[in-house]
Amino acid sequence: MLSPLFWIPVLGAALVGFWPGGTPARSRSIAIAVASITLLWTFWLLSQFDISNPGMQFTEFIPWIEPLKLNYRLGVDGLSLPLLFINSLLTWLVIYSGSTQLTRPQFYYALILLVNAGVAGAFLSQNLLLFFLFYEIELIPFYLLIAVWGGKKREYAAMKFLLFTAISGFLILGAFLGMAWLSETPTFAYESLTTQKLPLNTQLILLTAIVVGFSIKIPLVPLHTWLPDAYTEASPGVAILLGGVLAKLGTYGLVRFGLALFPDAWATAAPGLAILGAVSAVYGALSAIAQKDIKRMVAYSSIGHMGYILLACAAATPLSLVGAVSQMVAHSLILAILFHLVGVIETKVGTRDLDLLNGLMSPMRGLPLTSGLLVLGGMASAGIPGLVGFIAEYLVLQGSFSAFPIPTLICVICSGLTAVYFVILINRTCFGKLDNNTAYYPKVQWQERTPALILAALILCLGIQPTWLLRWSEPTINAIVASFPAHSYQIASLSQDSETK
Amino acid sequence: MVQTPIKSETKLPPSTHEFSGVIHRLEAGGAMLPDTPENLMQIIGLYKAYAVPMDFYWRDLLYIAEREFLNPFPFFKYFLPKEYLELHNHYAGDDADLRIWQKGAATAHPELLAFMEKGETFKMPKLFHHLWHDRINMEFAEACMRAMLWHRGMGGKFDPYLDSDEYKANADRAIKAYFQGNPAMLGLYKLFPDMFLEQVRQLSYYSNLGLFWEVMAPVFFEMSDRYDSGDIKNVPDAMNFLVNGIFAVAGRPIYHHVYIRGEIYEIIPKSKGFMWLYEAALPYVEAVFYRTAPFRGTKSYNAQAKQVPDEQKDFHYGILYADVFPVGTAGIPPTLLMQDMLHFLPPYLVDYYSKHCRGEDDMLIQLGISFQRSMYNVTSAVIQALRQALLYPLDDTNPKHLEANRAFFEAQIDRFKRKEARLRDIQRQEYR
Repeated sequence: MLSPLFWIPVLGAALVGFWPGGTPARSRSIAIAVASITLLWTFWLLSQFDISNPGMQFTEFIPWIEPLKLNYRLGVDGLSLPLLFINSLLTWLVIYSGSTQLTRPQFYYALILLVNAGVAGAFLSQNLLLFFLFYEIELIPFYLLIAVWGGKKREYAAMKFLLFTAISGFLILGAFLGMAWLSETPTFAYESLTTQKLPLNTQLILLTAIVVGFSIKIPLVPLHTWLPDAYTEASPGVAILLGGVLAKLGTYGLVRFGLALFPDAWATAAPGLAILGAVSAVYGALSAIAQKDIKRMVAYSSIGHMGYILLACAAATPLSLVGAVSQMVAHSLILAILFHLVGVIETKVGTRDLDLLNGLMSPMRGLPLTSGLLVLGGMASAGIPGLVGFIAEYLVLQGSFSAFPIPTLICVICSGLTAVYFVILINRTCFGKLDNNTAYYPKVQWQERTPALILAALILCLGIQPTWLLRWSEPTINAIVASFPAHSYQIASLSQDSETK
Repeated sequence: MVQTPIKSETKLPPSTHEFSGVIHRLEAGGAMLPDTPENLMQIIGLYKAYAVPMDFYWRDLLYIAEREFLNPFPFFKYFLPKEYLELHNHYAGDDADLRIWQKGAATAHPELLAFMEKGETFKMPKLFHHLWHDRINMEFAEACMRAMLWHRGMGGKFDPYLDSDEYKANADRAIKAYFQGNPAMLGLYKLFPDMFLEQVRQLSYYSNLGLFWEVMAPVFFEMSDRYDSGDIKNVPDAMNFLVNGIFAVAGRPIYHHVYIRGEIYEIIPKSKGFMWLYEAALPYVEAVFYRTAPFRGTKSYNAQAKQVPDEQKDFHYGILYADVFPVGTAGIPPTLLMQDMLHFLPPYLVDYYSKHCRGEDDMLIQLGISFQRSMYNVTSAVIQALRQALLYPLDDTNPKHLEANRAFFEAQIDRFKRKEARLRDIQRQEYR
């Protein structure tokens, strides 16, 4: 039941890649068909998922390389399910919005499908080595996607991305090997690992490797320097996958392999992680304010929002962790719509420079719908109530305040700063006077509008009815927190709240 | 017929003006608008599209000035009665007072009647067409009238007359007659006489503008017909036709009569001798083409930041300066005119617009820019007419006379030096 989420895109990639005489339109059609099947499969999985069960569901096990303890073990729970959905959805949207003028289309769509497969495999893996394999599989497609279809500095950005994420991989592999070799029962099976019996110092060393490894992937300050170049130089579709999917692999890894496997060490490191989260949020927000390139601004905003997730994970209260998962989903949706719209603006107007953009809200010659959706995306990112960003940020901040009040307050200020840079972006881009001399922009096609409309609908629906987002992960999060050492700062929980009500 | 001579070259040294090319073109008897077939097609097509709603505007303006008058609840002032729809234009048709233009009919244009019947939707009660804005938007005409009233003091004798005792006495008679048997309104008039008087002044401008457009509508129709038959071949031809028209009807009286219970009240009698050219055409051009006002909804102007000039004479928000990209859809007057013209575009312009920019999606903007071009042509005609009336012929042999002409042209073109002016833009064909 879970394997198709990996194998359909893999087979689809082969089909697209080797289809004879593939034109951009035909390659796109095949890729859309494959991505649609995967997305439908994910919907079916959602319909079959038992929300009340906090453990792994639909588990699959096939022995593979026994001497290495590498087995094909898959499973899904409330933590990975929302991210699987995001992976399938964003892949479909990226392929749907693919240009019909694309060079080497077969290669492009095959790589996108491989990324989809790799990420899905990583979210599903219940064997650490298998996770590592999937985690590394998507590295090469991403490198190629940036290096071949990127902007002017694509080769530099791609190489930087490759080096950083390779180091991330080494650290994570090292940590996984350490976990297996040092524990009482050497295994890579996630459920059988007994890391909690290791000495605290050993746990801290292993946790450090995990945190640094995944922090590169997320990325968090100061390991973020690959991000602005990679996000900016990548084509909009690839940037969506980088920010919407790949970064979530990092946050997912932190919760799954850091917090859940090293609860004691995590509790010790939590204050430092909370500060790191706040620093990321401040750095991301201030850097975004300073940008002149709207894509770079969105990229830096991503660093800031990832800081909230780290803060929530550090606090590790039921409320903050549900907030962290919500923020992962919300951030993926918001970042995807923003990158998509920035891509549309760049395609039509020919620039991303804030000093040159102006008046795009003009009803006939501007890009009014694009501008309107950009305003919505900016509002969602700034945490305006009624939109998905609000509920995620609210849960993160409310859940973290009891544990780390000062970092939380700093993040609250950063949330306000988010509004500042999005007001700058929207004010300069959408409002003001459209220049008569330059405003001969091509019309935005439905193919370009549809992804943004779908994302906007989700941002709005999940903002108005957040239960549709929260209910998937709540039991799993409660189970993770139950295994966590009792902390004096855990005073809020969703279950307590619901009981009170 | 007056024919502005086309000179091959000027006898003066080249102008050093920023718009020297335009100055030389004017000195050669041309227009501010470059003479290209594409420009000609655009301006003539727009004249035709403008003339049809204008045929409604002038009738309704006169109806409001003469019949609605001071109706305190003028809810139906845009519901033109049959009498005014069939009113014979004094400058068109077989029974015209002055038979200058040969081809148009005296009554409302057939395309206008067809549009009034169904609008752009379908046949339904008039009130629904009105509420749905599926109609001729008189709001534009009223905005032009208010621009003339608000700026006032733009030369001529008509405007000072509105403050004269004679005018006040005439207005007083009409006001008392209109509210005869209505003690409430007469009581209000007693309390606030200036308020009523100001309303009558506004109605006099309704009449002024109505009489101005009564002339212009058949001129534009005739130009369109002549273009279709091949009589107008280039932009100077079009401009000269306008210059000739201006001189032909320059002396047409501007007046304001009110019909109350079958009696005529002459608030501004024809005998005052106010002439069409000086009391209607020139103030109209000054108020509407150059000045107007920063329309609500188009753009925010900050008066404290000096974005709005201190003096009304320095206003520059007219069509010659207008930003044709409206922000929002607030139903602002220029947008409404564009909407009105959209219904009556000749097929060749629809085809032309379909091939450029966003085709049908931004046709309103494309026609707005064509309208700007056509109004630069009208302004060229006014400038040439003024030069002809006040200065010297273009083929004058006296260099001092030619210098005087040049100084006049340069002074006129100086008004387009400001960055908002579209004179630079209309020199480029790709400005759409």
